[in-house]
Amino acid sequence: MSISNISRRNFLKTAGAATGGLVIGVALPMNALAAKGIMKDSGEELNAFIQIDDNGDTIIYCGRCEMGQGISTALPAAVADEMEADWARVTVKQGDGDEKYGPQATGGSASIRVMFQPMREAGATAKAMLIAAAAKVWKTSPDNCFAESHFVINKTNNQRLGYGELASIAANMPVPEKPTLKNKSDFKYIGKALPRHDQGEVVVGKRIYGVDTKLPGLKYAAIVHCPVLGGALKSLDKSDALKMKGVSDVIEIPRFNIPFGSIGGVAVVADNSWTAQQAVKKLKIAWDLGENVSYDTKEYKQQLVRNVEKPATLASERGDIKKAFGEAKHKMSATYTGGHLSHAPMEPNASVVWVQKDSCEVWASTQSPADIQKVLGQYLKREPKDIVVHVAMAGGAFGRKFKCDYVHEAAVISQETGAPIQLIWTREEDMRTGYYHSINAQHIEASMDDQGNVTGWLHRAAFPSIGTLFDPSMIRTPARSLGDVTDHLFGVENMRVESGDAKAHTRIGWYRAVYAIFYGFAFGTFADELAYKAGKDHLSFVNQLFDNNKNKEQQAQIKRAKNILAIAADKSGWDKRQNLPKGQGIGLAVHYSFQSFVAMAVHVEVKGDDIKVLNVDCVIDCGQVLNLDGATAQMEGAVVMGMSLALSTEVTFRGGAVVNSNFHDYPVMRISDMPNVRVHIPDSDESPTGLGEPGVAPFAPALSNAVFAASGKRYRDLPFKPLSV
Amino acid sequence: MKQSIIINGTEHAIDVDGNMPLLWFLRDHLEFTGTKFGCGSGLCGACTVHVDGQAIRSCVIPVSTLVGKKITTIEGLSENGDHPLQKAWLNNNVPQCGYCQAGQIMNAASLLAVNASPSEEEIDTAMQGNICRCGTYQRIKKAIVEAADTLSKEV
Ligand code: FES
Ligand code: FES
Repeated sequence: MSISNISRRNFLKTAGAATGGLVIGVALPMNALAAKGIMKDSGEELNAFIQIDDNGDTIIYCGRCEMGQGISTALPAAVADEMEADWARVTVKQGDGDEKYGPQATGGSASIRVMFQPMREAGATAKAMLIAAAAKVWKTSPDNCFAESHFVINKTNNQRLGYGELASIAANMPVPEKPTLKNKSDFKYIGKALPRHDQGEVVVGKRIYGVDTKLPGLKYAAIVHCPVLGGALKSLDKSDALKMKGVSDVIEIPRFNIPFGSIGGVAVVADNSWTAQQAVKKLKIAWDLGENVSYDTKEYKQQLVRNVEKPATLASERGDIKKAFGEAKHKMSATYTGGHLSHAPMEPNASVVWVQKDSCEVWASTQSPADIQKVLGQYLKREPKDIVVHVAMAGGAFGRKFKCDYVHEAAVISQETGAPIQLIWTREEDMRTGYYHSINAQHIEASMDDQGNVTGWLHRAAFPSIGTLFDPSMIRTPARSLGDVTDHLFGVENMRVESGDAKAHTRIGWYRAVYAIFYGFAFGTFADELAYKAGKDHLSFVNQLFDNNKNKEQQAQIKRAKNILAIAADKSGWDKRQNLPKGQGIGLAVHYSFQSFVAMAVHVEVKGDDIKVLNVDCVIDCGQVLNLDGATAQMEGAVVMGMSLALSTEVTFRGGAVVNSNFHDYPVMRISDMPNVRVHIPDSDESPTGLGEPGVAPFAPALSNAVFAASGKRYRDLPFKPLSV
Repeated sequence: MKQSIIINGTEHAIDVDGNMPLLWFLRDHLEFTGTKFGCGSGLCGACTVHVDGQAIRSCVIPVSTLVGKKITTIEGLSENGDHPLQKAWLNNNVPQCGYCQAGQIMNAASLLAVNASPSEEEIDTAMQGNICRCGTYQRIKKAIVEAADTLSKEV
């Protein structure tokens, strides 16, 4: 990583920066990121900026995309802390899509993992230069000065100079080679509960989302897609739609034959979104539905179950499970399933695109601005850098807005009509044209000795993989995607992992927590079933499973997992669970994903078929926490999302098409379902890891275990209580 | 004289197709974008505004049925963003993505106008129609209780 003084360079002018003052750019070595598989190697680029103008007003640019996870507060606050800035003087600006910000594709709970250290060093650099500037003014040594809350102070005589007064002088100071970072005990913002920088705008309705962009001459579009993946337009009669007052165009959208590309459809352009939506209903369209027309998730799930309940393709093997099963005292097997999920962020897919002769500008809620630049560059035969992408606040995303098919469509319409186009998908289109979480089945067989040690573990998983986006001919999940099974922290000497056949018939995409959802569910629930079989309680049984792991490389992780599970148990009153009223129970689960650890204790009350979640104790170990309040909020949200997918949400396909259409038949959790969530964050000095996703995984298994404890009924299929649609 | 509607205290002519839902009249015609589109079918509450002080789902109300009515949107809930609910929302750091929050706040304001100190069940019942996909419900409840508290002290 390197940090440079770019105060005299002019490219920040494009970001609307005032002249004068101090501007610090941070370059992450891209090859290091490339090594981590985060982006392609492209040498060194400046990735982030701090700008202090002559009034002391400070702007910190956040290159990562904000969708409610709080990254645009957490990372800038780390900068502000190291530079001793007064947070009240800091404005956070969202960086446009630009490779100078480094990897902007925001997913995999990676932002903090990748950016924390460089952001801190950038802040410390700015501070060192401001101190050097003050020392120069006072003709003293920098060691004789310190910085505090936007001022540099002279230790000898208590003289003070503000950052504004110093900024332009600091711009002429050398960049320190290795800036000194603060000690943890001196942190002012890092690790504290900091409010989100943009809350004030949210509560008065002034925060601008992708859906809110307005431009002079803006036209509004609505779209309908082919209901079946791989289908195509057969015939289109647009006459009735075009007759409607306010409708100006009907545009056929071609299929983009790329992994995250539009599947094609028909769009109507009008004076306002409502007219466009009405006109779409007037289109007379015949689709050629193609080969996926027989896709039926009910049958498909049964097929997946059959595929995992018989021998499948070997993915990995260690030890000798045949021998282990032969010598077993107890044997146990179970099959777990889960359905497709739709991200369903409250803001549907939306963007504004304006293609002109020599420019193309995009305003979009997106998790991946660089992908928009690349795809539209190809489509319009222009350089990616000539596609200007303004990254708007996303009204939720959860992985959906990583795939920007909706932006491609707006670009086509703008290109065809010459007008700036706002395309907003209806909720129905959003529900039916998604990148769904994989439908899945897992079958586990295990053997135990008379001490309750698990001696053998056969794990078969079948689910259409995200890899099918890139290679549609893939008929089963490759071994590498089963690594989380092979490398699970449970200590089982003899293990065999197999991949069952599962061809994709719809688009599969990352959904908050991704495969950890079903891996966490199968491991966490099966452990509980084994514990019961062995006559042990969950906590001591799982601890024993961890203790049986002799892999040296995993010992540190096991320690952390055990620690948070113990805390979750303790906080929930696990020890006194025998005293709970009849019909109540506590379930535990711990899961490691995206390099973070989350444990949950779920306390339920079960009456007949009715499951009421009363309390959730959630414990996280994500290393050092950047924003205590943000971390807490992420866990509260993860519980709600975990609860939706555990209890009720499922996308059903029949005749190749999605049956669900809106929130009445995709019932996400509502306020009356909300349990009392208590988030516990033990102090840690480990390097920080992400939190956007890891909280989702342990909820469903902990719930299954709680319901079993309360009622003796075992749920093995997600969601537990599907709506029949 | 054209038919008109009063939005946040200002009169606006209804010079669109009268079947247009209030939501789109606000968002696309007047460019008040604080009121959000979430489902278009009265299922999520993102589009909640007040008609004569009462919460309604603007995505399903044709603008022509609101002639002469007083509409309040999130932009007009308070002069300086200092409605007790807005303050309580900030105090509890309620928003995550924030997209649903205008609807949540407007719905809660309508609740508090008729029930100054709602019980937890009453809050659940009143707020049941407002989805938050980010899962901020716990904080929403807390903020409503807090705002109710502030309001009761004001009287
Ligand atoms: S947009 Fe009106 S209730 Fe959902
Ligand atoms: S805060 Fe994101 S939907 Fe409520």
